[in-house]
Amino acid sequence: MSQPSPLKPEEARALVKAALAAAKFPEVGVRISARRAAHMRFAAGAPTTSGEALRVEVSVTATRDGRSATVSGTDRDPAALAQLVREAEALAALAPVDPETEPPLGPQTYARVAARDPKTAEVGPEGRTEVVARALKVAREAKLVASGLVEHDDAVTVLANRAGLFAYHASTSASLTTTMRTPDGTGSGWAGASSFRLADLDATALARRAADKATMSAGAAEVLGPGAYTVVLEAQAVADLLSFLVFSLGARAADEGRSFFSRPGGNAIGEALFDPRIVLRSDPADPNNPSTPFAPDGLPLAPIRWIDRGVLKALSSSRFWASKQNKPPVPGPRSIFLEAADPAQAKDLVELVRGVERGVLVTRLWYNRMLEPRQILATGLTRDGTFKIEGGKIAGPIKNLRYNESPAAMLKNVVAIGRPERVAGDGLVSVVPPLVVRDFHFASVSDAV
Amino acid sequence: MPSSRRSFLALAGLGSASALAPWRAWAGPPTSRVPAPASAPASADAGVAMLTTSRLLADEGLARAAIDAARKAGASYADCRLVLWRRERVSVRDDHVSGIGRSEEYGLGLRVIADGAWGFAATAERTPKAIAGIARAAVAMARQSALLMPQPVALAPAQVVQGGWVSPFQVDPFSISIADKAELLLAAARAALAVQGVAHVDASVACLREEKLLLTSEGSRVHQIFFRVAPGLTATAIDRRRGRFAARDHEVQPMLAGWEHVTAADLVAGAPQIADDALRKLHAAPVVPGKKPVILAPSNLWLTIHESIGHSTELDRALGLEANYAGTSFLTADKTGKFKLGSEIVDLVADRTQPGGLATTAWDDEAVPSQRWDLVRKGTFVGWQTTRDLAGAINEPTSRGCLYADGYASVPFARMPNVSLQPGAEGYTTEDLIGATDDGVLITGRGSWSIDQQRYNFQFSGQFFWEIKHGRLTRPLRDVAYQANSVEFWSSCDMLGGADTYRLGGSLSDGKGEPSQSNSVSHGCPPARFIVNVLNTGGGA
Repeated sequence: MSQPSPLKPEEARALVKAALAAAKFPEVGVRISARRAAHMRFAAGAPTTSGEALRVEVSVTATRDGRSATVSGTDRDPAALAQLVREAEALAALAPVDPETEPPLGPQTYARVAARDPKTAEVGPEGRTEVVARALKVAREAKLVASGLVEHDDAVTVLANRAGLFAYHASTSASLTTTMRTPDGTGSGWAGASSFRLADLDATALARRAADKATMSAGAAEVLGPGAYTVVLEAQAVADLLSFLVFSLGARAADEGRSFFSRPGGNAIGEALFDPRIVLRSDPADPNNPSTPFAPDGLPLAPIRWIDRGVLKALSSSRFWASKQNKPPVPGPRSIFLEAADPAQAKDLVELVRGVERGVLVTRLWYNRMLEPRQILATGLTRDGTFKIEGGKIAGPIKNLRYNESPAAMLKNVVAIGRPERVAGDGLVSVVPPLVVRDFHFASVSDAV
Repeated sequence: MPSSRRSFLALAGLGSASALAPWRAWAGPPTSRVPAPASAPASADAGVAMLTTSRLLADEGLARAAIDAARKAGASYADCRLVLWRRERVSVRDDHVSGIGRSEEYGLGLRVIADGAWGFAATAERTPKAIAGIARAAVAMARQSALLMPQPVALAPAQVVQGGWVSPFQVDPFSISIADKAELLLAAARAALAVQGVAHVDASVACLREEKLLLTSEGSRVHQIFFRVAPGLTATAIDRRRGRFAARDHEVQPMLAGWEHVTAADLVAGAPQIADDALRKLHAAPVVPGKKPVILAPSNLWLTIHESIGHSTELDRALGLEANYAGTSFLTADKTGKFKLGSEIVDLVADRTQPGGLATTAWDDEAVPSQRWDLVRKGTFVGWQTTRDLAGAINEPTSRGCLYADGYASVPFARMPNVSLQPGAEGYTTEDLIGATDDGVLITGRGSWSIDQQRYNFQFSGQFFWEIKHGRLTRPLRDVAYQANSVEFWSSCDMLGGADTYRLGGSLSDGKGEPSQSNSVSHGCPPARFIVNVLNTGGGA
């Protein structure tokens, strides 16, 4: 299944030209996304469903005198594109004025990002089956019941407008996650990873990690009651909780007084809010973890430090909000790198555990929801591998626990920092370390395995 | 895992602090109060013309060609869905429009069984070449999966059906102009902003039209159109001096209905109350935590039903098919008909025929007729949600009709029907429940929600909280969440409102599956009383 790009640059330019040729309004912008995605699921020790789909979305935004509307559709023939433009202009003409409309962006320069792996784009059903077969083999040998998902895609995003903006980004992505359970249902383990190259995912190693956790967590789990614990959060758990903080990194909500980062008359930029070893940054051009080099509005994404040595350095800000404050706009992140300011401080997971006298090891967090935005307090549960640590060693499985905790507190109460790794998930590209955190709050016990 | 908006309920009667009495305000629009019939409600009259003039009909030949090509390539079964979604969303922020968008998504998805395994492929390109390509791809995928399958997929028998259905509506939501929609929202936002101390208002309305034409290789053909509307409004009050803020969502529900549901919700009239509530949340007293009774209004309880009963009675979860993501279930096949999960007054019904229910349909995505059946009877777990490839696992002869895919490019699988708690026979009002409670909390609206992967431990919040002392509502509370174990929660249920208090709540975005899909579903219930752990989530702030 040798696959061409779902939308080559020359095809993208032709589509954009056809759409903009139909435009009558001075401000018309086009967004195109074309994505070929395929997956294979497995559960109860066998494949369940698999699928492959090519999705195309063309979206047209027409604006005149602050009146704006967006219309999108699936078809990409010239007649359909012209119809989208006409409908967007007709809707915009009827729309009330939005005083926050910004003038269109002209041509921009973007970071060069190599995010499309041709080999990943070519993977077919045989390639997916091979990955699943490896995970199933590990499960069979360990006498466990495997479930999971392998998926990959080949995607193109295009932005263009009548003012000369043209942005094109091609990317592939791949991920494998697997859950192994003991046949008696008392043990469960999970492992997962993602990359822009399917070849980076070591199915056998991931499956073994999940299998080890399932086996180690089998049997009667001890109950640790609610309370504040020292925890070793594996990278996936850190990313799960951190996302609430990342989504709170907005200047406007802070300036308007409705955010954790609000301060009387402004926001918390410049304050030392977190552990001084912590750095949180984003970078679209990272060679191993590339992401889109432009924001949805066409602004270039530059490398940026949100938190530097524990100090809040930046909050994202729209073009409207930034111009109102006489500041440059700061687009929100598309990738997140959390790390120790001094890489030499980063330790292996085993070393992290060794340094904990009494605590809890958490594999991942589940059903995470915001509870109270004033403190970015979130809730959720541990899942698929939760263990007691005693004397620097894993002492046995414990029942899963519900946490009520804030990622801001997590970054403040850091005891030790591990080596960053790319975690699973199809949202932000997240490269984060495992962390040892003190005073982490568990609120109740769960019977779930 | 709903992540969409709001719930209904003109909580107007809870008005200003001085006027706590009149509970008439619990009354919702008439559509939310009709008892469920035994089959899907009659098709909308105006809808028949929509079916006969549909543009999907022009592509029916392609769908047939896809099935034929799959059969020729060796598929033992195939079905093909042409699916057209239209979505429209108008949003306002404070005094201006912040977004106007319309989208259309149209394509064709083909599902096959070959060598005893499933395969699926989809395309938005409606050409003979693309159709031949997806037929080849779907069969190739099935053959690959079959190499690793210990036993073949088995489909429970289903009757061959032909039919058309359009969900009941009075006013096509797409017939209302964007300008009128924006003006309605701006008027509601102005009404809320007029309340001093309210700093921001966000309001929006989403209108959705889902149309699908399903053909199966067994000869079934069903053509259906669904209209759904989802209004919403949030007021935020800010106290900069104390560095505090509080947001209050309107409790209006999304509904399988036309624009008449938005009209009946009267956002403009209700907005000042929502704004008042935001202010009162800002200045409310912190809740005192502890184990105590809560009365959950339908606008809050629907989501607790969804998470603790709706998901745990999905048979695919119990069989481990969702173990990697959504999880499994505390219920297992051997507990059917025996396991006590609630008190004697707890009856829960699955129902894909309920008027207004977001999961209501005439046939599911494999042409199985919709139905109504018991999940929990007098507190005992008795029934499962199934599809044609799941029914055999519990030795049931036919599917319960729960197959659904959220678009042309998604693989159909087991999705939740409307699951509803039946009202109590005593005919209690909400005042009766409050009057019978010495020390507790009344919780309305949807707040934060989270539950474990086997549906034991949950923790929910809400939109508004009242302290109950000695049978009376005494004062608003803040930072309230309640936590419980599903079985202990339903076993503690000791009082239910009567039929007049029954309301429908729901979500347009219940997430499940990998890659994740979104399902629309409603849950009806009366207010009910439970014992839970009440938490203070304010952290002293």
